Amino acid sequence: MRKVIGLIVNPVAGMGGSVGLKGTDGRMYERALALGADPITPQRTGHFLAYISRQDGIRWLVAPGKMGEDYAKSAHISFTVVGEIGEQTSAEDTKRLAQEMMDRGIELLVFVGGDGTARDICDAVGTDLPVVGVPAGVKVFSAAFALSARAAADMVDAFVRGVGVTEEEVLDIDEEAFRDDRLASKLYGYLLVPEVRTFLQPGKTASNVGRSATEAKQAIAAQIVEEMDPETLYLLGPGTTAKAITDRLGLAKTLLGVDAVLAGKLVGEDMNERGILDLLKECSQRKILVTPIGGNGFIFGRGSKQFTPEVIRQVGRENIIVVGTSDKMVGLECLRVDTGDLALDEALSGYIEITIGYRDEMVMEVRYR
Amino acid sequence: MKFVKLDMNEMPCAPPKHVIEAAQRGLLDLNRYADVRDLRQLQMLLSEYAKVPRRHVMLSSGSDLLLRAIVHAFSWDRQVVTVSPSFLPTVQIADRSAHRHRRLRLRLSPPVFRLDPDLLLGALKPPTLVIIDNPNNPTGQMLLDCDLVASLADREETLIVVDEAYFEFSSVTCAELVTDTPNLCVVRTLDKAFGLAGAHIGYAIAGEHFVEVLSTPLALLPQPSLRAAMEALRNPDYMRGNVRQIVEERAWLGEALSASGATVYPSHANFLLVRAQLPDMALLLRELKVRVSDMAAQLPAGYIRVSVGTPEENRIFVKRYKQLIDEEQH
Repeated sequence: MRKVIGLIVNPVAGMGGSVGLKGTDGRMYERALALGADPITPQRTGHFLAYISRQDGIRWLVAPGKMGEDYAKSAHISFTVVGEIGEQTSAEDTKRLAQEMMDRGIELLVFVGGDGTARDICDAVGTDLPVVGVPAGVKVFSAAFALSARAAADMVDAFVRGVGVTEEEVLDIDEEAFRDDRLASKLYGYLLVPEVRTFLQPGKTASNVGRSATEAKQAIAAQIVEEMDPETLYLLGPGTTAKAITDRLGLAKTLLGVDAVLAGKLVGEDMNERGILDLLKECSQRKILVTPIGGNGFIFGRGSKQFTPEVIRQVGRENIIVVGTSDKMVGLECLRVDTGDLALDEALSGYIEITIGYRDEMVMEVRYR
Repeated sequence: MKFVKLDMNEMPCAPPKHVIEAAQRGLLDLNRYADVRDLRQLQMLLSEYAKVPRRHVMLSSGSDLLLRAIVHAFSWDRQVVTVSPSFLPTVQIADRSAHRHRRLRLRLSPPVFRLDPDLLLGALKPPTLVIIDNPNNPTGQMLLDCDLVASLADREETLIVVDEAYFEFSSVTCAELVTDTPNLCVVRTLDKAFGLAGAHIGYAIAGEHFVEVLSTPLALLPQPSLRAAMEALRNPDYMRGNVRQIVEERAWLGEALSASGATVYPSHANFLLVRAQLPDMALLLRELKVRVSDMAAQLPAGYIRVSVGTPEENRIFVKRYKQLIDEEQH
């Protein structure tokens, strides 16, 4: 049986780079064109398709014209076109085409684009379907992307052979702030990607000795739960590592939100700043647990709507627990904070301990700006 | 076409004829275990080379085995402190065996990676076993000096192991402290500067405490390895020639890579840590028959460690590297 795989290309992704812009959100695309930018997606998509060695095992459903069809033609692969698009394409096209392809029974969706494209895909397919992201953006931050067009092709080959999937982060990068040389990002959601890291990067195999991302998170959860104090309020930040902790406690977790745990019970779900501050009034012992965002290392980013400067100040630096799998941590040069409150950022900087496994810690620098 | 092999920090050239002939003579005794007198002789030669009394010298079939034995012997009831990134086998053994493992992430402070001495001293929660490679692999940086090692050694219930596998390239050692510092152990190898990776002989310059616990100092080494090592230490001039050549080529290689737009970190060893412009550079180079070490298990994507090879090998590597960058840009 051939695998049915969808292909959607964001034709304007990545155009800002050559003309010194960062991202092509909103009107920036027109500005990039005016500055003489060439689309880079054709080349990336061409490379990606050329590198796939298992074309015989794939039935392609591709988006029309410059959103897929054009590159499939040049690559001489057989394909079926799905849906229609107009002259100008938009995020809505991406979402609509993804939905149409899902209705037509695709088993994997390949998208070529940047962080914005990943968010559109996240909106459209969530974690219902595995995806492979080919990076075409100026700079992509979301861990859900493959390292390169080449690596993405290897992921597709691995999927055709049959491998498991894992959840990876999609980030909401504030392109305005990025243009301003400030990197502000928060977790937007998760996509399911084929779990082939070890296969892509020979070095990675050794670090884990057969340990999967899921097992690594369970080891962290074992350590945290063992040290939990029944009289302390734990504010658990977003992410799958925090979810491993609530799983171990037999509790539910809001994947993108903050939940509160006291004495093994859930005392707050998907809380906002107000709710957290109210809870803090009742508990004198409290801790925040966060995991850094993969790729850039933010533990507290601007726009994080729950862990606001006020909340962080009240809890105090000494009560911040940072957790992260060693695979994620080694991909970072440092941790970062950008709370929007410079004095607080300064107070948060310096070395901090990160729980990376059971009785396994890393000490890393926290930087700001 | 053969692979250009720049991934294991080996010497690119075979050892001189007299060393190879010594190894060949060892083959004639292949039915016999090594003679204890020969082992003592090698221990003596190493003690002269390292300028320490003979009783502090311990032999091993490879410094990696020595490090493993040390972690196994001392870590079951101790916290092990390592740095990140570091020699990967050490990190992995600590991961599996240590009562508790704490990794201190080196701070990237361009142009180098640093280990903050206060961070290191602050991380000691006795009982502790500290294992640090100096020069560090893969960054090529010197992380310790004798003063810092002495301060560490002053701490109660602290054992210090310094992995000096690349000592000959840095000329910095704390071996001389060992005689007065029972809780210090320096681990070295003949694999690197002496060009004897295939013989795989390591040795420890061990403080009293390590000597007591690690039992027999004389490992039963393979006959060819033992003979090659003895010959190499009797006539070590070729090793100095090796080092000179590598240091010269290292400078050329670093400049050529920088000129191609790579970030190259200064090195005190026979390799360079490079931040390539392409995240999967190691994989791409492999397809062009050049092997370098992908550091993705310990550093962000794009970091590769490249051993300094022969002038010819280095030029092939740089040519392929540039080719990949050009392809990406056009």
